[in-house]
Amino acid sequence: MATREVISTGNQLAAMAAADAGCMFFAGYPITPSSEVMHEMSDLMPARGGVTIQMEDEIAGICATIGAAMSGQRALTATSGPGVSLKAENLGLAQMAEVPLVLVNVMRGGPSTGLPTRVSQGDVLQAKNPSHGDYKSITLAAGSLAECYTETVRAFNLADRYMQPVIVLLDETIGHMHGKADIPTAEDVANGIVPRKRFDGPAEEYFPYECGPTEPATLNPMFEGYRYHFTGLHHDKNGFPTEEIETCRKLIQRLEDKVAMHEDEVESYEEFMMDDAEIMIVAYGSVSLAAKESIRHLRDAGIKAGLFRPITIWPSPAKKIKEYTDKIEKVLVVELNIGQYHSEIQRAAARLDIDGLFKVNGRPISPYEIVNKVKEL
Amino acid sequence: MAFNYEKYLRLEKMPTLWCWGCGDGVILKAFVRAVEKLGLKQDDVVVVSGIGCSGRFSSYVDFNTVHTTHGRTVAYATGIKLANPDKHVICVAGDGDALAIGGNHTIHGCRRNIDMTLIIINNFIYGLTNSQTSPTTPTGMWTVSQKAGNIDPTFDTCDLAIASGASFVARETMLDPKKLEKMLVKAMEHKGFSMAEVLSNCHINLGRKNKMVSAMENLEWIDNITVPLKKYEAMTPEEQLNLFPTGVLKQDTEANEYCDMYAEIQKVHQGERKKITQDDFAKKI
Amino acid sequence: MGTFKTENPGDQPVWVNTNNCKACDICVSVCPSGVLAMRYEVSSTLGAMIAVEHPESCIGCNECELSCPDFAIFVADKQEYKAAGFSFAKLTDDAKARQETIKANNYYSLEQGAR
Repeated sequence: MATREVISTGNQLAAMAAADAGCMFFAGYPITPSSEVMHEMSDLMPARGGVTIQMEDEIAGICATIGAAMSGQRALTATSGPGVSLKAENLGLAQMAEVPLVLVNVMRGGPSTGLPTRVSQGDVLQAKNPSHGDYKSITLAAGSLAECYTETVRAFNLADRYMQPVIVLLDETIGHMHGKADIPTAEDVANGIVPRKRFDGPAEEYFPYECGPTEPATLNPMFEGYRYHFTGLHHDKNGFPTEEIETCRKLIQRLEDKVAMHEDEVESYEEFMMDDAEIMIVAYGSVSLAAKESIRHLRDAGIKAGLFRPITIWPSPAKKIKEYTDKIEKVLVVELNIGQYHSEIQRAAARLDIDGLFKVNGRPISPYEIVNKVKEL
Repeated sequence: MAFNYEKYLRLEKMPTLWCWGCGDGVILKAFVRAVEKLGLKQDDVVVVSGIGCSGRFSSYVDFNTVHTTHGRTVAYATGIKLANPDKHVICVAGDGDALAIGGNHTIHGCRRNIDMTLIIINNFIYGLTNSQTSPTTPTGMWTVSQKAGNIDPTFDTCDLAIASGASFVARETMLDPKKLEKMLVKAMEHKGFSMAEVLSNCHINLGRKNKMVSAMENLEWIDNITVPLKKYEAMTPEEQLNLFPTGVLKQDTEANEYCDMYAEIQKVHQGERKKITQDDFAKKI
Repeated sequence: MGTFKTENPGDQPVWVNTNNCKACDICVSVCPSGVLAMRYEVSSTLGAMIAVEHPESCIGCNECELSCPDFAIFVADKQEYKAAGFSFAKLTDDAKARQETIKANNYYSLEQGAR
């Protein structure tokens, strides 16, 4: 794979990635620190015949995005924590009706209005279940400038593969970070696009929601001769509302299983100096940059620390985590929230003694804070 | 006349779940006749509906159909239309869906003047959830959430749409289905945001404790509160106070349509024209 | 497919589909000519069902078909009906008077007694 070097910010790279991955529609609303994604899309989209629209509120933003995606286009929206809260109901409809889209959440201090211009990782649990009901979230966390690009590209392919929204978590640090990134060429990205499945037979034989118990729906674009129904209600193979007992049970189970039974395809993580690690640090997003730096310092001081970095946050890489936590006694989860992923690590490890370094004052964690904490363990 | 309704219906979903005598069925038929009159291809049409009894509209008709969350009909439709500007987008929402929870989206759909038709089926109540007050429920009537009498003042849907900038605003009732069909033809033909309010009956919910238990009594009440526009304009303010004018209340064929304007934006970004400035618009503020 | 009958079952000016009728009375109330009435029907939800009692009085105005919310009543297409050699009736005073009595009888058939 050829690469090119660009100098940009995380937000701009996310927008570039969307455009290169074939996204043709963006609808959103200004919210710090994500607005730059919309600003960039407002230039990128019309230049290639696509659309960017600033809607009247966050909810309208996700609705218009879902509408465009329903009609067959790759669609993006971007926001921060308060926006995800507002979008939650409609994210649920996208899950239920199996509509692919990508949502970039540039996390900031929360809850509520919180710290609009400062960093946190406080939306991790929210990304697991933003909306009510049962479904399986796919959430990715970009841990570097380059990943703001590559993870957004992967998000579009995952969204089309599993026919549901995919959340890409950035944070204020990485969203606004300006620097060098080595990213794939636009041509390679274009060649790597895996569009959603479509049905090419006669319309009378087309049942969009009739599929295997671990497969997503096959939703043809609108206006091409395949007329069917989208709804947030429980529905049958045509998409029509139903309350029939078996149909309803199978539908919800399938929404879970279509991801749960393919976790190995969705899973992604980085193992940094884990081969001989005696202390495992778990970190994701911008915190992982500080964690890597802290490991270099720790290693210099003779402490064998390593970083396990989940890239796909949900579903979590539980099996791999347990492999490590079964043999490594000292595990430290470092995050900019009060232990949202820490509880998942404890669950996956089946342990209650996982350590945590939590920072919630809106400032990034420095490598020295991590070094000092590890020395205390 | 034995119009061929079957062509436009999802027959396996019939009969409808609407109550006996519900105006929704009459409006559905008028809409389908209007589509036939306009010669629209079924594949080129998308019907987007909200939550409520009128929201079930979209599941009965054989077009590309979307049943959205409560109040968000126009927002979803905006995304579909912008991504497919040459297709026909029709929204169907009730008074609660379009004016309460969806009020903001209705206002902005009108403001943008994006080319679609919003049919607001106003039955003056929340029907599907059983008789709660809606922004159009007449003051003083009984509702299940205000059993001592409704104290909420009401919206005038058409005034709201006109003030928000819709370029086509009309009101009819389902009492005269032929007139309704003609109005829907005009609304869908119009290029720009068409708001078509259709007054309808809900004798089951609004009527039952407000002295309109049968469909006919509710229809008579609707007849009594409506008057054709010309007659309305000749009345005094006192006479006008408790009446709704019917007919086409506004039609502006000169207003900029949003998708057309966005096509200009695309041209700017593709180097085919200069940037858009204030001088490109008659209304500059 | 399904429960539809938009084809004329046999030279009728107006015909009904009792599978779809929800007995709302609207068609009976808008007929100017006393053609229609409701009849008791034990098996139907509201205990009543539409009946075409006087098809010979049907003037082909279409009000019933237009006002029916449920695709339960259909009127013959004017051109096709004429081409088949039939014609709709003219509105008579007798028919109008019968319509008034049906209305006064709560839209029920006069043959079923006072209602």
